[in-house]
Amino acid sequence: MLSVNLLLAVCLGYVALLFGVAFIVDRETRRRPLRWLHSPVIYTLSISVYCTSWTFYGAVGSAARNGLEFVTIYLGPTLVFVGWWWLLRKLVRIGRAHRITSIADLISSRYGKSPSLAVLVTLIAVVATTPYIALQLQSVTWSYQIIAGESDSTATAFWIAAGMALFAILFGTRTLDANERHHGVVAAIAFEAIVKLVALIAVGVFCVWGVANGVGDVFANAPAGLTEAAASEVFGGRWIVLTFLSATAIICLPRQFQVAVVENIEERHLKTASWLFPLYLFGMTLFIMPIAIVGLQTMPADANPDLFLLTLPLSEDRQDLAMLAFLGGFSSATSMVIVAAIAVSTMVSNHVVTPIALSILRAERAVSGDIRNLLLVSRRISIAVILGLGFLYFQLNGSSGALAAIGLIAFVGVAQFLPSLLGGVFWRDATRAGALTGMLIGAGLWAYTLFLPSFGGDFVLSAAVLQNGPWGLGILRPQALFGLDGMDPLVHAVVWSVGLNALTFVVVSSLTQPTVLERLQATLFVDVFRTTGGEPTGAVVGAAEADDLLILAQRILGEGPANRLFAEMARVQGHSGGLPHPTDSVIARLERELAGSIGAASAHALVTRIAGRQALGMTDLIDIADETQQLIETTRQLALKSAELERTAQQFRQVNERLRSLDAQKDDFLSQVSHELRTPMTSIRSFTEILLDGAEMPEATRDRFVGIIHDESQRLTRLLDVLLDINRLEAGAVDFPLDAIDLSDAVEGAAEAISSLTLAGNVAVNMDLPAGGAVIHANADRLRQVLINILSNAVKYNAADPPRIDIRGAVDGGFVTLDILDNGGGISRLEATTVFEKFARGARADRDQGAGLGLPISRAILRAMGGDLTVEFAPTGDSFFRLRLKQSNAPADARRAFAGAISD
Amino acid sequence: MRPAERPTMRLAHRKTRTRSAALLLVGVVLLLPPIAGVALNDLKIFGAPFALVYIFAVWALLIAGTALLSGPLWNGQDAEAASNPADPPD
Repeated sequence: MLSVNLLLAVCLGYVALLFGVAFIVDRETRRRPLRWLHSPVIYTLSISVYCTSWTFYGAVGSAARNGLEFVTIYLGPTLVFVGWWWLLRKLVRIGRAHRITSIADLISSRYGKSPSLAVLVTLIAVVATTPYIALQLQSVTWSYQIIAGESDSTATAFWIAAGMALFAILFGTRTLDANERHHGVVAAIAFEAIVKLVALIAVGVFCVWGVANGVGDVFANAPAGLTEAAASEVFGGRWIVLTFLSATAIICLPRQFQVAVVENIEERHLKTASWLFPLYLFGMTLFIMPIAIVGLQTMPADANPDLFLLTLPLSEDRQDLAMLAFLGGFSSATSMVIVAAIAVSTMVSNHVVTPIALSILRAERAVSGDIRNLLLVSRRISIAVILGLGFLYFQLNGSSGALAAIGLIAFVGVAQFLPSLLGGVFWRDATRAGALTGMLIGAGLWAYTLFLPSFGGDFVLSAAVLQNGPWGLGILRPQALFGLDGMDPLVHAVVWSVGLNALTFVVVSSLTQPTVLERLQATLFVDVFRTTGGEPTGAVVGAAEADDLLILAQRILGEGPANRLFAEMARVQGHSGGLPHPTDSVIARLERELAGSIGAASAHALVTRIAGRQALGMTDLIDIADETQQLIETTRQLALKSAELERTAQQFRQVNERLRSLDAQKDDFLSQVSHELRTPMTSIRSFTEILLDGAEMPEATRDRFVGIIHDESQRLTRLLDVLLDINRLEAGAVDFPLDAIDLSDAVEGAAEAISSLTLAGNVAVNMDLPAGGAVIHANADRLRQVLINILSNAVKYNAADPPRIDIRGAVDGGFVTLDILDNGGGISRLEATTVFEKFARGARADRDQGAGLGLPISRAILRAMGGDLTVEFAPTGDSFFRLRLKQSNAPADARRAFAGAISD
Repeated sequence: MRPAERPTMRLAHRKTRTRSAALLLVGVVLLLPPIAGVALNDLKIFGAPFALVYIFAVWALLIAGTALLSGPLWNGQDAEAASNPADPPD
């Protein structure tokens, strides 16, 4: 036995070495990208995390128990890598184009960024990873016990689990990378891959040529039934199923997806990995069978074949080889646990914790720093929980059963992702509903037919249920569902879970409609080779890119700020006086700065185009289109506002014009008024002066002069009254009472009032009023005033022979119109435009006919009564006056029509 | 690449793709039942049982084939991209 202390020292030293590698690589990558890290060999070796302690110990055990079957676990991945051009390449391209961070991210993103799918995939991943972790704990515990002697399994396993959790937390959650890349971890597990290979080959060589005597000797005494024709059952259904499962696992296992797709730096690496990874597997498995055979031959019959890799060197007293073998097994276990814990905790924190936290924090406006802390803390807790679950599984399962069997349970669990994954990247019409129902059914059947029965009746499904089915229903027996008896339990579970999963997926997808977002994502994923450009050949990061980025920044931010930004970023990297190397953090920073000026979508599209990571994708274009749309909208709003402003300015201009013209009118009016007033005043003054002179004159002349003075003062007073009147009428300050007046009464009364004029001039007055009478809403006195004014005009200005006046009335709607025509020529159209202006006199007017205020005042009166006075032209070209008056509902008050004094 | 070369390169790339698909098919057929059943006999190759040697030999063949084809597949990518009308010009 090796001393326990030596063992522990070696283990801790090894872990420290790994951590050192990871730490240094992480630090160096931040400063400048490491050339060797971008080697395809590192990428390929990191994929070898596929070979865990299952390969190290379990494969030998499987070979010893079941012969050739163990090879299927490695043939499946080989076939997937041989066909890399169709599946792997597409997954990697999608992963890079859409910045996929996990398998849950891929599936949920494909089906319309569905959070429910993400949660389901995460849950299945957590549950499926649990047995796998338990397997690692089991193998390390056993190997430890072999070397260090018997110990309490539980305690050992617990401390190992705790240690692994610590390693995983330290390795994987020190910082957050936006791309979820962990360069340090990748470097560390690449290193571990070499350790594993060396250890296995060393022990293999030792067994074949050390213990046995060459290849021939090994197989000469091989136990019957192991490799011979008698073992013909080996190439059966189980062989196919196992190959299928392992092919699925190389993609669907969270840790495999992480290293192969998420951590992929260059698509070009697939070119090398396509053959180098199968070659690695080849090398790892080459000695498995020989070791198994030698072990069976030389070890006691009750020895656990899973541990031959350790027990053989120990039995031959090769402590160094045993230590190497232990280290190899330990190494393979820890690399699996670290990567799996990181991958699954990423899913949990991204798809389960963060959405819940964001909805809680939304109200409190969390700063981005809070989210980062939350993510890190949730990841660490998730890692601890995942390992705790693995430990629990280990406890519940007991240390029974072959390691390989436990691993296969995990394989079938993650195989539930396959239909949705393959459908998602190849079938445009796959819908979210299909994926969701398929996965739910698959996961349920997996749990029922394989996962729960693996506890042997100690957990959820009791032994009785396992034997006879739930409630005694034999047809629902977990391992012989619906009567499908006699099958290998694994094959049975795969057929039901994956089979019904795929079937449901296809059927439900065909029956449901994808949403718009699902359709978009479907096109982007399925046609990813058409919608994204290929990788630029050559190095991903180059100095030329930094130049381009600087020019871009200068154009958008301005020369000064851009230069300052780049100088600062260069300084942080340690290149003073140069350009920074375009690492992920530099590019992210630049994007943020540019987003402030041109928007996040445009910044992202431009920067990534120059940095050559991906061509302008459709979602980028849609984002840019959205932003452009918003800009257009904003511009449109601004245009509307400025049009409004223009209109308002226009209105102000119009009002200004009106005010100016009114001002001019007022001036005109004042000058005219003063002129009109002056004329009688002049008469009054001159005659008064004559009288005051006291000159001798006859009494009659004196009386005549006084009479003239009196007349003129009356005239003046009348003029002033009329002016006041018209002013008040136009201002709307007059409020005369309105009654129901009979039209005929009003017209006849007015005609009679001017009868002296008509008789003197021998003017015929014809009236044509509505039969049955009409009642108007007017003021009797004022109406009379208007009618007299117009009628007397018609008489005065009528030069025809014989002179005639026609008065025609009509009812029109709620109004009564009264047309007053004379055959005396009328006025011209030009005069018609000015006839209502104050002091305007017709061509034939003279001084005696008044100041020219009659028509304006008439119109003002009529308007104040709700009507109007207009000049109209008959078809003959003669003009006439039209009065419009409101009709009244009340009966006429006959007395009013004749009342009131006549006003001139 | 010059435009005149494109059709030839596209054809060459198609051939490479076909070969890659054929290789995969060969692997699947040879490594899975029923064809894999041919390995079940009692021959020995250098002392090792035939089935074991058969599996590993086919495996090695697949690795070699993939290695030979991966270069041309990758380099022929430009021709494939150029044949996609939706792609932007070089």
